[in-house]
Amino acid sequence: MKLWGIADQVVRLAILLAIVGGVTVALRARFVPPSFGETGHYRAEAVTIAAELPVRYAGSEICAECHDDQEELRRRSYHRGLSCEVCHGAAAAHAEDFEAQQPLVPRARGEACLACHEYLPSRPTGFPQIIERLHNPLEPCVGCHDPHDPTPPEVPSSCAACHAQIERTKAVSHHLALTCETCHEAAPEHRIEPRSHLPNKPTAREACGRCHAEGADSGAEIPRVDLDTHGPRYLCWQCHYPHHPEA
Amino acid sequence: MAGEHLERLETLHDQISGFIYPNEIELHWGLLVVLYPYITGLVAGAFILASLEKVFKVKEVEPTYRLSLLTALAFLLVAPLPLLAHLGHPERSFEIFLTPHFKSAMAMFGFVYAWYLMLVLLLEIWFEYRADLVRWSQRERGPRKLLHWLITLGSRDLSPEAVAFDQKAVHAITLIGIPSAFLLHGYVGFIFGSVKANPWWSSVLMPIVFLFSAIVSGISLVLIIYYVATLVRRETPDMACLDKLASFLLYALIVDLSLELLDFIHRLYESEESIGILSELIVSKLFISLTIVQIIIGTVGPLLLLTFSRFSQLPPELKRVAYFIAALLVQVGIFSTRWNVVIGGQLFSKSLRGLTVYKPELAGIEGLFTSIGLMILPFVILYVLVKVLPPWPQAAAPTAPPPD
Repeated sequence: MKLWGIADQVVRLAILLAIVGGVTVALRARFVPPSFGETGHYRAEAVTIAAELPVRYAGSEICAECHDDQEELRRRSYHRGLSCEVCHGAAAAHAEDFEAQQPLVPRARGEACLACHEYLPSRPTGFPQIIERLHNPLEPCVGCHDPHDPTPPEVPSSCAACHAQIERTKAVSHHLALTCETCHEAAPEHRIEPRSHLPNKPTAREACGRCHAEGADSGAEIPRVDLDTHGPRYLCWQCHYPHHPEA
Repeated sequence: MAGEHLERLETLHDQISGFIYPNEIELHWGLLVVLYPYITGLVAGAFILASLEKVFKVKEVEPTYRLSLLTALAFLLVAPLPLLAHLGHPERSFEIFLTPHFKSAMAMFGFVYAWYLMLVLLLEIWFEYRADLVRWSQRERGPRKLLHWLITLGSRDLSPEAVAFDQKAVHAITLIGIPSAFLLHGYVGFIFGSVKANPWWSSVLMPIVFLFSAIVSGISLVLIIYYVATLVRRETPDMACLDKLASFLLYALIVDLSLELLDFIHRLYESEESIGILSELIVSKLFISLTIVQIIIGTVGPLLLLTFSRFSQLPPELKRVAYFIAALLVQVGIFSTRWNVVIGGQLFSKSLRGLTVYKPELAGIEGLFTSIGLMILPFVILYVLVKVLPPWPQAAAPTAPPPD
């Protein structure tokens, strides 16, 4: 079989290739949705379909029309960044007709609060976090904290009330006898508005040097380093974790 | 299920050092993703070896030419399976052909793969075997006759012009095939090298390093298969061919080692912020797989063994065994190269402050047994291919056209 002087092998392979190509084109026509690629690498119809879904969230502005007292409280609290429906669930139907749907009112321990406040190492430092099984066990969160203004009603008496994880870590380390104030200076306002008055960290190597420098006036069992030669470009806590220096 | 998972996380948790983010404890790419670059490397390497004979006219390696092509095909057919098993939903893989995404390197793999399979490897094998297939089908009876006839696609012209055309076509396809093989495995290196957030992977040298390690692994695989096949067939291996294969293996190994050293020195000299954690990674979690297995057992060992056996006056029997052992060690080394790239790149935290650990599962779709199965499969396919398309010189039908 020779066509226009083209070798037999090539003609046969070309037929095979044409069949494969034809099957691909047919499959494309059968399986690719018609609106695919109109607005990007997806089915354009999907946007219309999503837009037609019933609206389930009302948005917090409409809530304030009836619940203005809670809204006022929330607006001035640490929860000012949250929308009502974050805790109370989708409430569009309730906003439409308040008898048609009762929004969620999470009161049980761990029902809503822990989604944000359970301890996770990747959460930002200073963000209020608790370990659920250790933080006032069996007590519902709303027993002490008003969710619309969650600042604790009583000013914490010790650092461990908020920084329990650090306190426990320190308790099993050689630094257990040190108080937080040994290394940190915290203004009294830190207990009321923690993030507006952040405590400081040691900014000089001499802070650790008070106990660990050669010739320091401290117990003989405390490890010593020569501050001039031991990692001179860094602050101590950039390499050693002061709450658990053995780690 | 959730309990088991938590238990597993807990055991991993004890082996974490330093600080890592919670989603970094478990590795997302496991043993199956190690297999993928390993197998594609073998394909590209075996093909490049085959091209030595056709393009660079290295006559000594002719006995392995057809075997290399079939090896490349057998491994290429298995190459996407680890990925399909890892991702789940294999039926969705066809969607990358139906709705191609040109900006996604991963989505383009289907096209790189299809180009290499259909327009390079299968075409070259078809042209190379066509005349023999016609002759075999003339002599045979029953299903074999039908099978061989079907593979010829009915192209039964055995005239000297037609056979000469086949050879020309093979030559042309090999010419296209070399950059295609580079593309196939360079692409795999590119996938890792272009992850700019991962300092262990992100390097422009990655595709080149992958390519040369592919050449090393392909040559050594064909050497192993050729040696074992001659033993099984109770023949004496062609010593000139084995010597040449060993020489090429040695040269490729030297280039590969130099490139890896260059990459290493470059990283050390650049000394970016990640260098601390990467040094820790090398001396702790990767010490055995990198220093001991990849460098000492898999690179320096075979280098010394090949140099010594190639340039000494050893008796051929001993030489062959030495080449075979060196090739096996190279395979172990290249597998750990892939391991160190894929697993190593996920063992350190993006915070650059801690390391996690990887323990492959035994059973399950991502487990050790699946991987072993996937490594055996290409040899089964190769066995079938060798039965259907014998690559041995004796099997080739006489080149003279049959009498009318």
